[in-house]
Amino acid sequence: MVAPRVLIAEDDPDTLVILRVNLNAAGFEPMLAGDGHTALERIETEAPDAVLLDVLLPGIDGWQVLEQLHAKGNSVPVIVCSGKDNVHDLQRARELGAVAYLVKPFDIDRLIEVTSEVVGLRQTDPVTERGTAPDTELA
Amino acid sequence: MARHHRQSEPERLRRDARIAGLRDFQTPSLEAVEQRRRQLWQRTATALALIAAVVVAFAIIPSDRIAEAGTGRILFAIVGVGGGLFLWAFHKETALERLTRSLTDERVLTAALTNRLHEVSLLLDAGKQMNAHLQMDELLDTILRSACELLDATGGSVMLVEETDLVTVCALGRDAAVGQRMRLGEGVAGYVAIRRDPVLIDGHADPDLFPGLVLREPYVESAMSVPLVHRAELQGVLNVNAPIGRSFTEYDLRALAVFAEQAALAIANARLYEAERAHVAALLDLRKRREVG
Repeated sequence: MVAPRVLIAEDDPDTLVILRVNLNAAGFEPMLAGDGHTALERIETEAPDAVLLDVLLPGIDGWQVLEQLHAKGNSVPVIVCSGKDNVHDLQRARELGAVAYLVKPFDIDRLIEVTSEVVGLRQTDPVTERGTAPDTELA
Repeated sequence: MARHHRQSEPERLRRDARIAGLRDFQTPSLEAVEQRRRQLWQRTATALALIAAVVVAFAIIPSDRIAEAGTGRILFAIVGVGGGLFLWAFHKETALERLTRSLTDERVLTAALTNRLHEVSLLLDAGKQMNAHLQMDELLDTILRSACELLDATGGSVMLVEETDLVTVCALGRDAAVGQRMRLGEGVAGYVAIRRDPVLIDGHADPDLFPGLVLREPYVESAMSVPLVHRAELQGVLNVNAPIGRSFTEYDLRALAVFAEQAALAIANARLYEAERAHVAALLDLRKRREVG
């Protein structure tokens, strides 16, 4: 079975390494991006199965990455990772088509659980599942 | 998803490099992988062209002359070799693809570390510059200029708390703003002062969110305001404006917020220094009066 490829877009090198090691151990094939431009480039050229998108990215930030993906109609499932736990950002992520919103610091097991669900969702029907993504994943 | 043992990154790199035929793979390099890929496909293409030439030759040469050798078996063998060669090249190409991804990841990590070091270095420099001043005017000017340099901003202002007001004490790009007062809670800066939360404005600020908002002239497309807080005490607010055509991001906001922590400390120190100087001056004045008296 081919391991699902997950792009981790995160500016903090420590978090990049931690997420890579844990996702790799959980059976995913992690790919890394340290800034918004690299994230967009790798999403377009390597078509990952899911994206873990940090809001704070140098160059173009996570919101702009999400906006560009949304504008281009790219259906890659995106899990937004943010340090802010507020309704405004949650709503914004939902409007821009994110399938889940995780507040930092997050539990790594929860992250893997959500990522597994998201990768599973994509294999069924991304559009329908995106529209009906459970609030628990966006909360 | 069940957790299971997977090869470590260096082990995987070494394995893929061995499969791809990259010897002496001590220093990972994307260029070496690309070179190997070109070499692999050039060789494969040459070998396949040779095989095709042999097949064509079989078709051209009169069949009765090679019939004895068993045309069918020879052709089958040649096509088999061609197929095997293609599979071999495909196997190596898969390893090269994995290597490319791994090495790109390594570059991303290196770039992330370099970025972080660059940020820390800029903040350290800004901190040194700020701590070199104890005179308030010089310090405020340094804070504003350093913040603008750090974020490629075109202008901004520093506002300090005076009782229940925020007073603009230093401005860059709009000198007329110096001396302006606004009540805490009014406008974007007042909101930031009360909430002690950094704010990023992209486009027009919402008057419902920021009561008492005064529209700025000239219009600023993107701006950030962060509180200057030291030991839970609000010193003021730092505002910076983006140049035309550029928008600040949440990432910039975080950098400015970190910078503001150092700036607030420097302002608190300068205020302490001013207070001490005033105290010493008062004591000296008292002593002089006693001597005269």
